Amino acid sequence: MSRSTTVAASPPDVTATDAPLVVSARDLHVDLSRKQETSHVLRGVDLDIAQGEVVGLVGESGSGKSVLGLTFLGLLRREARPQVTGDLSIAGVDVLAASEGELRLLRRERLGAIFQDPMTSLDPTMRVGAQLREVVDSDAEAVELLEAVGIPDPQRRLRAFPHELSGGLRQRVMIAIAVAGDPQLIVADEPTTALDVTIQAQILSLLDRLRRERGCSILFITHDLAVASQVADRVAVLYAGRIAEIGPTAELLAAPKHPYTAALLRSRLDLSSDRARRIVALPGQPPDLRQPPPGCPFAPRCSYRRDKCEVAPPPVLWAGARGVACVRAAEIDLLEEVEGGVAWDSPAAPADDLPALRAVDLEVSVARGAWLRRREPIRILECVSLEVAQGEAVALVGESGSGKTTFIRAAAGLMPVTAGLLEVGDSAPQMIFQDAGSSLTPWLAIGDLIGERLRAAGAGRTERRAKVLDAMEMVGLPERLFKARPAQLSGGQRQRVAIARAVIVPPRLLLCDEPTSALDVSIAAGVLNLLGDLRRRLGMALVFVTHDLAVARVIADRVAVMHAGRIVEMGPVEDVLRSPDASYTRTLIASIPGLRDQGR
Amino acid sequence: MAAIEPIDLTTRAALPRRSRFSGLVSISVPDRIALTALGLVTAVALLAPVLAPHNPRRQVGSPYASPSAAFPLGTDEAGRDMLSRVLLGVQTTWLTALLVIAIGVLLGGLVGLVAGAAGGWVDSVLMRITDLFLAMPAAVLAISVVAALGPSLTNIVIAVSILWWPYYARLIRVQVRELAARPHLEAARLAGCGRLRLVVRHLLPGAVPVAIVAASLDMGGAIGLLAGLSFLGLGTPPPSPELGSMTASGSTQLLTAWWLAVCPALAVFLLCLVSNVAGDTLRDLVDR
Repeated sequence: MSRSTTVAASPPDVTATDAPLVVSARDLHVDLSRKQETSHVLRGVDLDIAQGEVVGLVGESGSGKSVLGLTFLGLLRREARPQVTGDLSIAGVDVLAASEGELRLLRRERLGAIFQDPMTSLDPTMRVGAQLREVVDSDAEAVELLEAVGIPDPQRRLRAFPHELSGGLRQRVMIAIAVAGDPQLIVADEPTTALDVTIQAQILSLLDRLRRERGCSILFITHDLAVASQVADRVAVLYAGRIAEIGPTAELLAAPKHPYTAALLRSRLDLSSDRARRIVALPGQPPDLRQPPPGCPFAPRCSYRRDKCEVAPPPVLWAGARGVACVRAAEIDLLEEVEGGVAWDSPAAPADDLPALRAVDLEVSVARGAWLRRREPIRILECVSLEVAQGEAVALVGESGSGKTTFIRAAAGLMPVTAGLLEVGDSAPQMIFQDAGSSLTPWLAIGDLIGERLRAAGAGRTERRAKVLDAMEMVGLPERLFKARPAQLSGGQRQRVAIARAVIVPPRLLLCDEPTSALDVSIAAGVLNLLGDLRRRLGMALVFVTHDLAVARVIADRVAVMHAGRIVEMGPVEDVLRSPDASYTRTLIASIPGLRDQGR
Repeated sequence: MAAIEPIDLTTRAALPRRSRFSGLVSISVPDRIALTALGLVTAVALLAPVLAPHNPRRQVGSPYASPSAAFPLGTDEAGRDMLSRVLLGVQTTWLTALLVIAIGVLLGGLVGLVAGAAGGWVDSVLMRITDLFLAMPAAVLAISVVAALGPSLTNIVIAVSILWWPYYARLIRVQVRELAARPHLEAARLAGCGRLRLVVRHLLPGAVPVAIVAASLDMGGAIGLLAGLSFLGLGTPPPSPELGSMTASGSTQLLTAWWLAVCPALAVFLLCLVSNVAGDTLRDLVDR
């Protein structure tokens, strides 16, 4: 792609096919209000989607990707007082000028929607059959649809309520409803994010098959570049309400032209990431959309920034089918080897050789039913044996329901052990929870939360304050947050508060329950680096629960694969991933969406 | 990655310069009026003896004088100033209602907190006791308590408080159980908090806003019930000014001296209205 051909213009005919356009958005702006504050969520988006094309819309939380999907559907929440300007034509309908009735007709005849959590987007009080009957005319058609989306025994499922189906089946029902009226466009908003990785692979191939069979276009919204690369013809990267980069999937991923895309790709982990070094994390946070910066929204975090970047928001410049919103796109070479992450420090020497955790034939069952109405307990863990040495990091991987979280909850003393042996030494283990927000007491100040364990140890007020500030510095939290409440912090900052709280008195054993799965890629990388640093510096043993093998590989020395309450495979992380013994481990590894292996 | 919610403003680069109470600064005009009215009524209730132009228990004019410049709300059968009597009545009713609600919130809150925090059989026993009180018909229970103890202000407070606490016990218990299911309690436990500290610092503050909102919404009901009981002659004995009993005694002369019944009745209406509207406002402010 010659750089000299770069021209500033409205997007040329860049869609993947020659088919007519289903979506044409020009200079789309969306403002949403909450309380008295207005956020400029979308700020001048141009996007075309041709008939039969799949466009992957990739962005982090707050980038406006979901709002763009909802704008297409005409479903922006009225309480947010949306103000939409620009031009938006979908299936020949001028969406912004259409009446509510016309929009409803458009949605019914031409559009389909799939959301992240089918448990909330399906009606819990209606049987699957009844919900399908809202979009098709007969039970026979409903059965046909369920068959088309790969639901086994569809006749029986018609009688089922959503809660009686697994997450994967529910999402298939949602997809069946979305494709029922042969829509021209399906907006799929993070349709696989809530699913296990093996189910995710199935749903992705289902969507791919459906669009081939039915020729519908899909706007596939996701935070994960790899997931987008599995299904999308073109990818649009959204940052702070503006398109940063857009282009054919393979080209864009192979040679990103926007510094943000490049940074996203670098902070992404896969099975070939360098384990010996820290992850290359993107510093800073996205801008506050209530007061967006006048220039390029990415400039404050960009290592290629120049003064001209801060003047005006850069327009998307087109070269062939690729567009990039960076005034320096022609000058900078993102492919040049950026310096990789810094190597990890060598770990602190262990104080003694006692194991940090020893579990032998551990069994955990939970009682069911209320007081006086006990039923047969369910066994969640069976014969789990695991020894974690002082200063060692072990990853527990497995899908939801495999018992990995139960194991560390038992190790933390939050769950009673039914049988077997569990030793954690004399210092109580600390735990980092998945959802940092809900693990912090909302009405207490950050400083009080972090200092809580010192108070329990009987430290005085001034001593506490000094140590809390030290801990905050250690995890990278600015001092001014001492008196802030958790709700005023970003997700990454909250997780850092939780970490500071856990390590202010360094425990021998730190338990982590998917601490980065709720965070954006660029933020998660920083948190993983922090955990890796702290455990080496403070000589802590780490048990890290994750569903993501790539994360496990970077953070841990050893990995234990759990399935149905048992450890099915255990060993040094590289050995297990390179030559897995258990068939279940092989399935897990095969299901990881890769970036460039576009499976078709 | 909240995908469905259209507004996702988790990106707070700078710490917002907002205190915990900044919500009160940015409230709308109708809300402001409602809260001002609430403050005004409370001020009138507290300052009633100062605001009253005459001694409400003394004869200051001729009996049954209709409203005039000297007596804006007229005089009653004994020539006492109605304005002063209504003001004192407002004081009695408003402060009694506050007292009843306070007792209800404290007693019910304690029961609900213990039940919700302890769970298991403690929860079951406490809630069955609560159910027992809830199962009795409210007015009948209050009337029988007052009938048994004799009509007086103290007894009416006791009677209505007995009616009131079970609602708060249920409300607080639900709130506490919801909070107790959040991981922040487990995190606090791992941070070495004792039982008492867990409950007082990590559980109770979360239930307070709900209790405040419920209490303010209940003020109207409490005022109505108190005035109703005293209308039936179960409240403060006649000579002292009380809105319910004044309405009752005045209602016999509705055709000859309308102000005797209408003024105290209007006062009850106004008190209920202000507390209901202000309660709604408070609920909106806490919810958003």
